[in-house]
Amino acid sequence: MDSLGHLAQGFVVAAKPLNLLVAFLGSFIGTVVGLLPGMGPINGVAILMPIAFAMKLPPETALILLAAVYIGCEYGGRISSILINIPGDAGAIMTALDGYPMAKKGLAGVALSISAWSSFVGSIIATIGLALFAPILARWALAFGPAEYFVLMVFAISCLAGMVGDRPIKTLIAALIGLFLATVGIDAGSGVYRFTFEDVHLADGIQFIVVVIGLFSVSEMLVMLEQSHAGQVVIKHTGRAMFNLKEMAETWWGTIRSSLVGFVVGVLPGAGASIASAITYMVEKNLTDREGSFGKGDIRGVAAPEAANNSAAGGAFIPMLTLGVPGSGTTAVMVGALTLYNITPGPLLFEQQPDLVWGLIASMFIGNVMLLVMNIPMVGLFSRLLYVPNWILVPAIAAISFVGVYAVHATTFDLVLMVGLGIFGWAMRKLDFPMAPMILGFVLGDMMEQNLRRALAISDGHLGILFQSPVTLVLWVLAIVVLVAPWLIRRRRSRA
Amino acid sequence: MSDRIFSVVWLVFCAAVAWLAWQIEAPFSYEPIGPRAFPLLLAIAMALSCVWLLAKPGREPDWPRGALRGKVILMIAGFLAYAMAFEWLGFPVSTALATLLIGRIFGGGWKGSAIAGVALGGGLWYFFDRILDVTLPLGQLWAGA
Repeated sequence: MDSLGHLAQGFVVAAKPLNLLVAFLGSFIGTVVGLLPGMGPINGVAILMPIAFAMKLPPETALILLAAVYIGCEYGGRISSILINIPGDAGAIMTALDGYPMAKKGLAGVALSISAWSSFVGSIIATIGLALFAPILARWALAFGPAEYFVLMVFAISCLAGMVGDRPIKTLIAALIGLFLATVGIDAGSGVYRFTFEDVHLADGIQFIVVVIGLFSVSEMLVMLEQSHAGQVVIKHTGRAMFNLKEMAETWWGTIRSSLVGFVVGVLPGAGASIASAITYMVEKNLTDREGSFGKGDIRGVAAPEAANNSAAGGAFIPMLTLGVPGSGTTAVMVGALTLYNITPGPLLFEQQPDLVWGLIASMFIGNVMLLVMNIPMVGLFSRLLYVPNWILVPAIAAISFVGVYAVHATTFDLVLMVGLGIFGWAMRKLDFPMAPMILGFVLGDMMEQNLRRALAISDGHLGILFQSPVTLVLWVLAIVVLVAPWLIRRRRSRA
Repeated sequence: MSDRIFSVVWLVFCAAVAWLAWQIEAPFSYEPIGPRAFPLLLAIAMALSCVWLLAKPGREPDWPRGALRGKVILMIAGFLAYAMAFEWLGFPVSTALATLLIGRIFGGGWKGSAIAGVALGGGLWYFFDRILDVTLPLGQLWAGA
């Protein structure tokens, strides 16, 4: 009951003209960023974050903007998956498997509208879940001490290592590099400078934006250069624009199931939209595909992953808001955004900043309605953007990325560091190292170290404190399970 | 092979990190472990992971070859030059030049890329600096003259 009152208060915040405008702009920008191959939610949010800060938007407005962009991306990614068989972002990879064949059959309009609809259902289910479960988890997390937090972050990193990429060792190295980059600068515990080489630019650490835009945007442009020789053909004949009731009935249960699975995956720290959509596609294929039509343009194969990537994006807000431990790369960037405003996400956020939290949740309901309208009747407008050639698109991405980094500190040093990290990130990506764990490690690094040191200060240096409470023990067991389970499954599969 | 080279480079890096971390010392400390332990722990963990990777490297990535390699190198040089020129030449001019270069690398024509450069340099400057109030440099070079 309490939640409903808060939610009503949240709608008051979200309905302020500025916040409505920002939710609309965010949804629009998000759809565009999502549909452009080479730009995903992480870049979109990372570039907009310093700009929102430089524009002096109030924190709840900035967060509403970033959240709208994030959710908009999960809608927009499907457009390019369906029309040009190139996923617009990582969450839409599975959508291409059946979406593009559908489009080739002349059913692009149906694929676009049903996937917008299932995106909407997934998002709304996740937002309801967020409103229901986040306050409970926040209350529960109030009892977390530094030891619990430290083990929770160990769990988050094992989630990543277990689920992201084919080589857990590479995910682990990426996360460790992220953790290390976070140690550069003044140490919060003792005031000592670490790894700064007496350079004034490094004294307060490597800027978060520099790392994100370097690793994602700059490296992405280099990847686009390598792939640009492959010609893109946009499907022009989109056919019937709206799905009919029969198609809706056919996909209904799959959409609900995928939304629930996606939500749970999204809540897990570290596992985001791309993993959720891959899992649900496999689940739906195993459950419902009797004729072997998945992969050949089955409408259920379009609806399911789209519901899942949207609900995972919504679910990822839960650990971020309640624990301060982001559930995906994009929410990791949002934690960085909040720290620009000196707001530390965590269990106290619900008590200290109810307007921020509930305004955000309420605006997600509003934003999803806006996105549904944008993505069904207006989808033709967005799909025209796919005709923008790379020789205009890439310089524009470059310029906006540079503006984003420059907006924070206005130094050439940050720009050069960004390019350096971009080259490094590109080389790492070529070597199959995933980038999201590096970002997550970078965000968690400081928290992880400070909590470890605080825990050991309480126990006077005894490591036993990390294994004492029931919560820590459960988290250690879970961490081992998520590390070992995928490996066991893979082994069983390769034997069978 | 690339994985092995990476592992060796990163092992050297870990050694440097460990050496630097060892020298970190807090003048006074109230806690049992100071600022030194965590970076050291990370260096050890990274080093162990790299040894594993050295023993079991993955498949060789497809590094760019031929003309593509030249383009990648040119693009990297372009990014660096853009970063250095950003404050010096100012946003409009440096962006116009960067757009011309990147546009050409991505297969745009001279004329089209030049027009895109002028449009992006001027348009984005006006949009960010004037409309959104995100201050962008106009260039130290022109201010001095």
